[in-house]
Amino acid sequence: MASAIEVNDFSFRYQGDKRYALKHLDFAIRQGEFFCVVGANGSGKSTLCNALVGLVPHYFTGKTRGEIVVDGTKVSESTVADLSSTIGLVFQNPFNQLSYTAGSVAEELAYGLGNHGVERSEMLERVDTVARLMRIEHILHRNPLELSGGQVQRVALGSVFILEPRILVLDECTTQLDPLGGEEIFDVVQRLNKDGVTIVMVDHDMERVARCADTVMVLDQGEIVALGTPREVFTSPTLGEHGVSAPDYVSISRALVEDGWDIPNIEITEEPTVAMVRGLLR
Amino acid sequence: MNIEITELEHVYPTGERALSGIGVTMAGTEPVAIIGQNGAGKTTLAKHLNGILKPSGGRITIDGVDIGDRATCEWAKKIGYAFQNPADQLFLDSVRKEFEFGPRQIGMPKEQIEERVVRVAELVGLQHKLDVHPFDLTPVEKRFCTIGAVVMMDPEAIVFDEPTCGQDLDGNRRLERIISELRDSGKLCITISHDMKFVTANFSRVILMCRGQVLLDGPARSVFAQTDILKQSFVAPPPITRVAQKAGLPDTVFGVDALITALKQERDRRG
Repeated sequence: MASAIEVNDFSFRYQGDKRYALKHLDFAIRQGEFFCVVGANGSGKSTLCNALVGLVPHYFTGKTRGEIVVDGTKVSESTVADLSSTIGLVFQNPFNQLSYTAGSVAEELAYGLGNHGVERSEMLERVDTVARLMRIEHILHRNPLELSGGQVQRVALGSVFILEPRILVLDECTTQLDPLGGEEIFDVVQRLNKDGVTIVMVDHDMERVARCADTVMVLDQGEIVALGTPREVFTSPTLGEHGVSAPDYVSISRALVEDGWDIPNIEITEEPTVAMVRGLLR
Repeated sequence: MNIEITELEHVYPTGERALSGIGVTMAGTEPVAIIGQNGAGKTTLAKHLNGILKPSGGRITIDGVDIGDRATCEWAKKIGYAFQNPADQLFLDSVRKEFEFGPRQIGMPKEQIEERVVRVAELVGLQHKLDVHPFDLTPVEKRFCTIGAVVMMDPEAIVFDEPTCGQDLDGNRRLERIISELRDSGKLCITISHDMKFVTANFSRVILMCRGQVLLDGPARSVFAQTDILKQSFVAPPPITRVAQKAGLPDTVFGVDALITALKQERDRRG
């Protein structure tokens, strides 16, 4: 299948920094793939997100080497505005997503559509659809700056989803939400992925990553230190050296093996682990 | 430190009722975790503990003194509150100034402030960032800066509001060290968190809130055994606990060792 994103030996150093934030990244993301990026804080995850949508190097300037190609377009030769019709980024801090010009949540959601010249009738329809999807219908009239962190996060996600990008980049986009709120957003993301949207997601919740990802990439100090299926990455014995913990399910399987139990597999998600433990009771 | 909360009510000026009849006592130095979904009233409750918010009804006493009898700035010496959103708290142009500000306001001697800056910066991992502008810190460093600024005041109790938000493995380990060090130095640490792995690993007492009320309050093991009430409150136990519960093990377990012990017991019981 064709690549949605190709990252070819890409390195980036922020203006004024001595150290490269990203070093020789070389990988591809297939169309429709659910691709997760994990790593300790400061490993380069957010810089990579910014690079995929062109904020690096067009907004955050610095020294670039190599190339990123999004849906056939070289990021370095395009603009953030042009790329935004293909690839959307939801920021880690949802307050950074707000336009600061909209007087209401409805206007905030419609902001990007206005910039893309969408007709008013269609705009209203899409605001309505996204508001229902994000469960923010009841706050459409409110000022975005007077909402709770969790509500702003839903608005921020909605303002990106509404543009219907074919590739979505999510940078720890549920940190302001409680676990249930996070799961609700996650269900939406999975639904979009099933409809063919390519997802690039940065997350610290390894149980969730193990459950959803097709591919997991581990970054450590700007370098790729692991890249593979969730099973390959999370059962690697060196994972802990890179400031990343495996899902708790892996610890359960490992502890059982160490304790001498005969189990067929190292499990990485909940349901198979429950089935395995049940089986041991028989 | 003895905090007694009786029949506490809070209604925001918008008419929204955030707390309905809270009755909780927190005493000693055993860390307390407050859990519950967004909007449950956790932050509203926490902000009453040093007078940032005033009760609409009911009573809070700290070491026998009604909280309304003294000004918020007086209580700040006794109980610190590290804000959920660092932007609500940080306002100076260096980490060092953030750390020095509170202690100066309460008249801490200069030498003691200097000595504490070194110790607290080390504790929160900002020893090399003391002269950095808080705006230039990463989101996680900002959070540790807010925590450091509150610890600097040397209060008897400290409230951390969602310190685990956005933390990685190292960040959570550092938080664990901070909480255990505060307990060892005789402080009462009250922490609001959505991270149930963190809660079960570090807190023996857990308070579950839902819609402005305390639904459960007790040892973590008995709170996480109440699966129906947790479900109604939209709180899920941590992964290892869930596996044990779903697999039909009778005990509420938090670590893998406890899970294996429970598994063996259940296997032997079933013969």
